[in-house]
Order: sequence, then structure tokens, then C-alpha cells
Amino acid sequence: MGITRQDLDKLKEAAGKRVPKDWIRVGYSTCGVAAGADVVYSVLVEEVKARGLNLDVKKCGCVGLCSAEPLVEVNVEGVPHVFYGKVTKDVAHKIMDEHVSQKKLVENHIYEL
Amino acid sequence: MKRILIQDTNGNLRKELRDFHVSLTSQLRDRNLAEAAQVVIVADIGVYQKGLVAKILPEGFVYGNLEAKHIPAIIEQTIQKGEKIAGLALEKKNKQMRLVLRNCGVIDPESFEDYLRCDGYQGLARALEMGPEKVIEEMKKAGLRGRGGAGFPTWLKWNLTRAVPGAVKFIICNGDEGDPGAYMDRSVLEGDPHAVIEGMMIGGLAVGATQGIFYIRAEYPLAVQRIQKAIDTCYAKGLLGKNILGSSFNFEIEIRLGAGAFVCGEETALIASVEGLRGYPRPRPPFPSVKGLWGHPTVINNVETLANISYIFLHGGEAFGKIGMEGSTGTKVFALTGKVRNSGLVEVPMGISLREIVFDIGGGVLNNKKIRAIQTGGPSGGVIPEQFFDTPVGYESLQKLGSIMGSGGMIVLDENDCMVDISKFYLGFCVDESCGKCAPCRIGGTQMLAILTRIAAGKGEEDDLKKLDEIASAMQKASLCGLGQTAPNPVVSTLKYFAEEYRAHVIDKKCPSGKCSSLVAYSINKEKCTACGMCARACPATAITGSRTDKYTIDKAKCISCGQCFEVCKFGAVVRQ
Repeated sequence: MGITRQDLDKLKEAAGKRVPKDWIRVGYSTCGVAAGADVVYSVLVEEVKARGLNLDVKKCGCVGLCSAEPLVEVNVEGVPHVFYGKVTKDVAHKIMDEHVSQKKLVENHIYEL
Repeated sequence: MKRILIQDTNGNLRKELRDFHVSLTSQLRDRNLAEAAQVVIVADIGVYQKGLVAKILPEGFVYGNLEAKHIPAIIEQTIQKGEKIAGLALEKKNKQMRLVLRNCGVIDPESFEDYLRCDGYQGLARALEMGPEKVIEEMKKAGLRGRGGAGFPTWLKWNLTRAVPGAVKFIICNGDEGDPGAYMDRSVLEGDPHAVIEGMMIGGLAVGATQGIFYIRAEYPLAVQRIQKAIDTCYAKGLLGKNILGSSFNFEIEIRLGAGAFVCGEETALIASVEGLRGYPRPRPPFPSVKGLWGHPTVINNVETLANISYIFLHGGEAFGKIGMEGSTGTKVFALTGKVRNSGLVEVPMGISLREIVFDIGGGVLNNKKIRAIQTGGPSGGVIPEQFFDTPVGYESLQKLGSIMGSGGMIVLDENDCMVDISKFYLGFCVDESCGKCAPCRIGGTQMLAILTRIAAGKGEEDDLKKLDEIASAMQKASLCGLGQTAPNPVVSTLKYFAEEYRAHVIDKKCPSGKCSSLVAYSINKEKCTACGMCARACPATAITGSRTDKYTIDKAKCISCGQCFEVCKFGAVVRQ
């Protein structure tokens, strides 16, 4: 027996409670991957692990600004929530050093949708 | 802490930007505010043609046309007191409206939990409560029309299939997206696969189908992988199979891969391809709604159409019907490409003007060139010249201009694009992709392409333009399927709006935009040449020789007329004839 209508509501509620406070999303559709999102993603995951941060790094689809891929959306407490575009390996390290650790925005890579 | 974001102007106003940045940081330092506000240069704020633009966070004020004299006020009023300066503030309006792309880039497409959190499968639950008749009623209220190109009302399509008796019916999702430069469907399949599956299940419920098929081209491996994973999850959770959500509705889904033939986007050819036959279209009637896959009633909906459906059942048909314009409700996703600053996917409510899409959302033309036209609808569409950019975007309004909405390709053409070349490109695409079954498409397309090639090479005759017109109208009337019927559209619309340009090619043997390489020749005006050597470095054919003392010359025998020297010369010394 599969899930019922009531299960759906319960699952939704449970899922809503499990939203992490701090997160990073990496655009991981064909346009992102073609531009190097896989490298960026692994750098971010490794850095989070190495620093022992409670920060959720997630793959997601494309938000639409394909010319600025790879796009990384960062939401960390104490810093405005922004999108970084044309992110390379170096920029990914900068995001961790400056944005996540020092709570400073990284120069030249912020895009607004 | 305040953040002052200054928009990089991409080379324009470079000095103004630098001066503003320097004096802003030094004035902040003088007032001991360096720690209270971070100044950041950012790539894009999304406000264009407003000079120097800055945004202050966390308030979100956007200031435009900034000059150094505004700095003290910005510091005193906005940074220190958090007040908005009315004289500088711009209203930044978000012209996009994300219905289909609502979850794209927001959720993890491989996470079932994420989709549930965003009200996933709630629309299906509602549809199951309503039952098939009411589902179709709801769709009628929504007024959704097919997003694949033709714009046939979805409720009517469903109703026709529902009315045909039969125990076995199919619903197919057409993911055979083939227009050059268009990739809306790929992005939706990759970014929000469950939404498309949910839409398909609602469609299946409405028409009485128990089997759904995703027809996706094999060139989209990531999309296929994500849809497959989503299907597997649904089976594991009992959302596919028997008695879905505790109801009596049974539904199965499988994927069929397309080999990437453009004609397989046409529904009868698509059905043949799913059956394992060669992707040939067949005459209609009988329509697929009567006799489709394996001879059973079949409804075929485009990816974007299905992604809309889960939204409609979540928010109601009436609410959806209020979005957009009369006759064309909802939103449309466009793949904005070509000579535009922000290329990518945009989703806008119907009724918005082309100008708003290209200039306000797309950020205008690349490199400050002049815009000439916008091509919509891919190889079945046409070009729209600048005088019509304020037309509201809808199915009928674009058709009136000689183009179509199509699946959503939108290519911006600038002054360097030649209309003869553009129509040659699109027609060439259709000739390559023609299946060859019917003569008007097979022979007509080839003949038209031969004429266009001749015109572009400077060997055109006056009679050619008339011939193009005649063959085009024969193809439009006599071709078997949509491919051949619409293939001449780019030629017809460019002939209509840019007849002068065709005549320049045929009579004067000139290509005004300099694209058709047989019709242009480059030379260097020695008097204007400053012997900087930029042209020689840019030349890919090493046709430019000379030195800093002798100045430079172009060897006509080696020149491939690519125009690179013309683009790089800052002194107007390279002459195009």
C-alpha cells in the first residue's frame, strides 16, 4: 500500500522541519555542469568537511542565468543572501574564506536575478 | 553591517566607476565607518541604462545615475541612518514570474522530500478528489494552451481524448526539444522532474490513461537520469502503480529515448518513433486523440505544459487564468540567446512586451551594438523588427507579426547579423532535418536553400525573390506535417520586413551587415592607419602583413572576409566595401 493523502501532508510537515539554517546551493543542470559546477561543488563539500561546518551544500537545477554559470547561492547567517556567478575553483575557496568565515561578500561575482 | 554593492558597468564608465569606488571607500574611512559598511563591486544588479548603479543591503535600496557628489548624502542618510534618498532611488521591478520554473534552482531535483516540501503532489491529490470531468473543467478555466508551439488549448485536447471510447489510452510527454538555441524543456526536466510527472499523472487521470510515456531525446542524459530517478522514487513510495494516494486511479510511467531527429517532435512522427518505427509523420486525421500509439487514443503534451498543470491544481484554474492576457493565459519560458547581455532562461507573464524581455530582463544588446530584430519560434518562426517590440507577447499577437510563439526560443539579432544569412541558417536546419517523405518539404526546402545560397554568394537574380515567395507558399500549403509547413517562415518574414536587404544582395551585390563573406572586401586606408598592428594580430588567416614603420596591408588572396580586423580597428582605418 502506497502513501495516502494524509501521509502526504505528514511528510510535507516533517520535510518542512528539516530545513537547515545555513546552506549553499550549486546550480547543477547541464548548463552548470558544462561550465564547471562539478568542480565547484566538490571544492565546497570538501571545504565544509575540512572546516567542520554545519552548512548544507546542495545540488539544484538551473535558476535561469545560464550565461553566469556556475551559479552558487549562499545563505549564511549574518551575511546578505546572494548569488555568485562564474564561480571557479578559486572563487569557491574565496566564498568559504570570505563569505562564510569572515562574513564579507566576495568581489566581482555577485549577480542579481 | 551595511553592504554597498556597486554594479560593474562592463567596460562602460570605467573611470567613473573607479573614481566613485575610491572616493566612497576613502570617505567611509575618514568617518571611521570602514568597519560599518563593506563596499563591493558586483557583476550585476539587474538595472541597466541608468549610469552607475548601487544597491545598499540589507535595506535593498537601489540608486541610479550616481556621481561622486552623491557620496556624502549616501553615507549620512543611508549608511548612518538607514534612510532612503528619494532623489536617487530607482524602483527595481522584477518582471519575471516563475510558475513553471518555481522550483528550478530552489530544490534538489533528486530529492523527493524537497519536492514534497514545496507542495509536491498536492495538486494531484486535489485532482483525484475532483475526478476527471472537474479536472477538465478546471483546465478550461485556466485556459492553458500547449507550450510546444501550436498553442492548442490543453483542456480541449484532453476532452477529445477522453471522449473517445477505449480501455487503453496513453499520455505522452513530448520532451523532444529540437529548436536551435532552445532548452526550456531540458531545464525543467533537470530542475524539477517531479512537477512534470505530477502534471502527467493529472493528465492521465483526466483522459482515462493508465500509461504515461516520457519521450526525451538521448542528447539530454542528465534529464533522462533525473526523470528516471524521480519515477523510481514514485514507484517506491507508491505514488505510481495501483491505487495512487488511496484512490482507484492506477498509473504507470516509462521513458522512451529519441535519437534526436527534429521531425520526431511532430506528434505522429513521435508516435512512430515510440513504436520503434522510423520517425515518419503520417497524414491526419485520424488524430492521435482517436488513433495514436499502437492504435489507441493518445494525448501528447509538451514538458512545459505539464509543468504548468501541477501549478494549476495547486492554486486553482481561475487564479491561473487571471495571469497573462486574454486568449494567452499564464506565463511562458523563453530561452533568451543571441546578442544579449544576460542569456539564459526567463519566465514572463504573457502580455509583456518583447522590449521588456530583451532590455529590462536581458540587459540589452551585447557590446552596445544596435538591435535589429528578434527571432522567435526557432526554425518555424520568424523575425520581428524593432518597430514591433512593444507588441504584447501572446500566441495570436506574434502570429500577426508573421512569427510564432513556438516552443520559446528567442534570439536577439544585432547590426552585424545579416537577414539573408539568418534565413539561410534556419532553412538549412530544416532541410537537414526534413524526413523526405513528402515532396513539397523535401524538394521545396532544397530549392529554396539553393536560391538563398546563391543570393548570399552574390549570384542572385531579381527573379529569385519571386521564386522564393512561390516555393514558400507551396510548401506552406502542401507539406504533410508542421516541419515542412513552417520551414519557409523565417524566409517569408525576413522577405517581408527586410526586402531592401535582399535587394542589396541581389542587385547591388552587397551585404549591408558584412556577414556574407563573398560580398564584402576589406582594405586598409593608409592615411588613417596608425600602424598599431591590432588588425594583424587579430587576423586568423595571417592575411595582414606590414610593420610599425610601413603600416599594414591586406592580402586579398589570403583574406577570408571574416571582419575581425574591422572589429578591432579603433581608428576606422579598415574599410569594408
